[in-house]
Amino acid sequence: MTDTGTIVAFWALAALTLGAAVLAATTRNLLHAVLALILSFIGVAGLYITLSADFVAVAQVLIYAGAIAVLIIFAIMLTPNAGRRNDETFFRLPALGIAAVMASTLAAVGVATDWPQATRGPFTETSQAIGEAMLNQYILPFEIASVLLLVAMLGAIVIVRED
Amino acid sequence: MNPLTLSLSKGTELFLAEWWDIRDLGNPVARFLELVDDAGGPDWLPYVISGVIGILAITGWLVTSQLAFVWIERRLISRIQVRVGPNRVGPMGLLQPVADAIKLLTKEAITVQAADRWVFWLAPSLVVLPALLAFAVVPFGEQMVLADLSVGVLFVIASSSLATIAVFMAGWSSNNKYSLLGAMRSVAMFISYEVPQVMALLAITIFTSTMSLSGIVNWQEEYHVWFIFLQPLAFLVFLIAGAVEVNRSPTDISEAESEIVAGYHTEYSGIKFGFFYVAEYFATFGIAAVGVTLFLGGWTLFGLEEWIPGWMLFLGKVYGFFFLFIWSRGTLPRLRIDQLMSFAWKFLLPISLVNVLLVGLEVLLWQENGLSAGLVLPIFAVVNFAMAGLLIYAWAKLMRPLSQRAPRVRLMQEVGAIVYGQEAEA
Amino acid sequence: MPAEPYIVNIGPQHPSTHGVFRMRVALDGERIVDADMVMGYLHRSMEKLAEERTYTQNIPFTDRTDYLSAMNSNLAYCLAVEKLAGVEVPERAQVLRVIFAELQRIASHSMALGTFVNDCGAWQTPLMYMFRERERILDLFEMTCGARLTVNYMRIGGVSFDVPDEFMPAALSIVGELPQRIAEYEEMLLENEIILARARGIGVLTADQAINASASGPILRASGVAWDIRKADPYAAYNQFEFDIPVGTHGDCYDRFAVRMAEVRQSVRILEQALDVLPEGPVNVGLPLAMRPEPGEAYARIESPRGELGFYLVSDGGPAPYRFHIRSPSYINLTAMKDLVVGLSVADSIVILGSIDIVVGEVDR
Repeated sequence: MTDTGTIVAFWALAALTLGAAVLAATTRNLLHAVLALILSFIGVAGLYITLSADFVAVAQVLIYAGAIAVLIIFAIMLTPNAGRRNDETFFRLPALGIAAVMASTLAAVGVATDWPQATRGPFTETSQAIGEAMLNQYILPFEIASVLLLVAMLGAIVIVRED
Repeated sequence: MNPLTLSLSKGTELFLAEWWDIRDLGNPVARFLELVDDAGGPDWLPYVISGVIGILAITGWLVTSQLAFVWIERRLISRIQVRVGPNRVGPMGLLQPVADAIKLLTKEAITVQAADRWVFWLAPSLVVLPALLAFAVVPFGEQMVLADLSVGVLFVIASSSLATIAVFMAGWSSNNKYSLLGAMRSVAMFISYEVPQVMALLAITIFTSTMSLSGIVNWQEEYHVWFIFLQPLAFLVFLIAGAVEVNRSPTDISEAESEIVAGYHTEYSGIKFGFFYVAEYFATFGIAAVGVTLFLGGWTLFGLEEWIPGWMLFLGKVYGFFFLFIWSRGTLPRLRIDQLMSFAWKFLLPISLVNVLLVGLEVLLWQENGLSAGLVLPIFAVVNFAMAGLLIYAWAKLMRPLSQRAPRVRLMQEVGAIVYGQEAEA
Repeated sequence: MPAEPYIVNIGPQHPSTHGVFRMRVALDGERIVDADMVMGYLHRSMEKLAEERTYTQNIPFTDRTDYLSAMNSNLAYCLAVEKLAGVEVPERAQVLRVIFAELQRIASHSMALGTFVNDCGAWQTPLMYMFRERERILDLFEMTCGARLTVNYMRIGGVSFDVPDEFMPAALSIVGELPQRIAEYEEMLLENEIILARARGIGVLTADQAINASASGPILRASGVAWDIRKADPYAAYNQFEFDIPVGTHGDCYDRFAVRMAEVRQSVRILEQALDVLPEGPVNVGLPLAMRPEPGEAYARIESPRGELGFYLVSDGGPAPYRFHIRSPSYINLTAMKDLVVGLSVADSIVILGSIDIVVGEVDR
């Protein structure tokens, strides 16, 4: 992780991610906020690539920027108040408070932890390892996650159904 | 990182690997990069130069193909419609694409006043971007891959899901009810057809146990079989889902001229509209290229690539695939959006799931028992064809509302009778 | 989950509303909850202008009401004046009128069928195929009276010109080729999955609704009512010829499409018989140009490709009519549209409008 390319990439992507996240939280137009959020998702995918997690990076783009962003957009489109400004809400101060508390907790924990240095060999494909782990060690959480998704889909259909 | 080892894959040993061997255009490029490397300079320079050469080559090829295919498509559709097609501009109308390009460039690019300026301006560029991205992982030849990602197939799917966002941005920023309607329809359609597309590609990946596209081409070369023969159902599902993903008839609902004028790009004029038009062609070429790589053997043709350059074979196949799209555009009427979505969820998804199950069983049998490929693959091909036919027929019968027998009209000799509701006997 | 409906204008400028016609629809998602028709964008006040012109001078007006079936409009008007003035039309002229009316019906139905499939989304391919026949028929018209679209061919007391020598071979060749062409279209289109999916069960008009709305023409027949003015109230020489009336049973867009296709076949049948029996004789009685019929009123109707086309004339003894009213089938059929469209989506409404087959010149006069 010490060659110049990776370092430059890391700082650039970190700036992109954080900048886009700040933009998403502070811009007035709700849809601009969603678009900035998508940009930060793509930044996170880039950060995964600097960590040689190829599968997770592409899956991040596919799932977050491709599907979850669409979900958020549909949710905004279908709520009647979509045209209102993003910053005029009753929860501004409480939200800022909670965000500050969470950020300081995370920062404190992150600084206090003794992060071990990973000694990496040459690049290996991660897809196979992830697949084997999901179907051997983590089979139970995998199956529970699929049941959860099924329940969510059924719930959505039941809510929307017109009788 | 030695740039020469970037994209070598275990291919045939037929290539001479001399710089003048244009059967694989990677050879002159590799020789050029060696020269750059020997001339000194920073380590990353050959890497960057190879990237730039690749990008320029792909973009140049795409733009020329697109100019040619504007003419080809219009002439072909005219022949299907018993007309002549463009024949005024230049000999046989060959300069028609140039005339179109000049018109688009010199038209006034109107920006709607009530539109969201930044998003309106950004959307056309963002629509072209995912279409171009897919080409980065497609192997045009043995050493002609821009980025041989180990998760190539997933990368292709991710780039097509980015197109969803761009289309929605275009529709919403025009501040026009028709555009928004068109954009929502497009987005719903895209996400519905992503799932069958992924299932079809999954079937391929189970066979080859690698997601890298050049790895898949090498698998097809090693076993001397194309996936269109092994996986006809996956091919059909990918073809249909791909046509929907690029907004191509019979599924071009978002640009349905007779319904909502032009959908999400109603308000765009001039070169902004040109970008949408170009993006549709690039995306169609992308789907064709990915389909050729996965199902039709990429740049191989059962050994013919010793004499004819592999990239020429590849381009020929891509253009043949594109011809299929043009043909279906000139022939088939358009489906309604809810019919299209029910087709995806109720028809394509179940049969592609059954296909994946079947493929898993087949590969398991093959690997566990260590059988030889020559014995096992023809059996798989026959079984898969039979299953494909059976599934499509049986499921279509089950989904009866989609296929009703056409009723007959009665011929009466006298006036006065009222026969409403009385179906004629066949 | 309620969402507020929003109002969208379909037309008046639109690639597919068959002319300048506007529909204001209130949409709830994709579903139409209310539809409002705004007509009058092509109003040219023909009925008032006709009160200043002589009866013969009014014939070109009738070309321009239903410009896709000009011969039929001419015929209806001439029948009304002949009824008012008590004029007998010679035999040859009667049969020529039938021939040209049926040729015009084939041309108009070609256009209607082609644009219907175009509205279903087929990118004009069937339209271009059907235009081949229409072009040959329009060539026949040009051969006879010099014009393709606004023909001005019928006169009070007969027709204006006799057919030239090259007319009969050309007409016979067209009539000979048409059945095979129609079979080709039927094979391509009637069993097509996508057209079935787009048009089956869409825009159902029950027989009671159709009769209550005074619908006529293919729409009425597709709803199951066997009613054709050529058989119920024969005019010109129709009672000499044998033909059937195609009647649908479901009243949806697909049945209207199939009924029109079958009507083209029946028109070919009539044409074969008519071209066979064309008698010799004069083609026009030879009335004065500024004729003055006795005071009175007359209503004459024909079966135009769109329905019952009627002309109501009131004469006060002068050279110009006192009142000239057109009972246009497109206008009356269109009033049934609101019932058809509510509850369906925008795409369906375009298909329904295509199946009703309106000509805005006739709707607005």
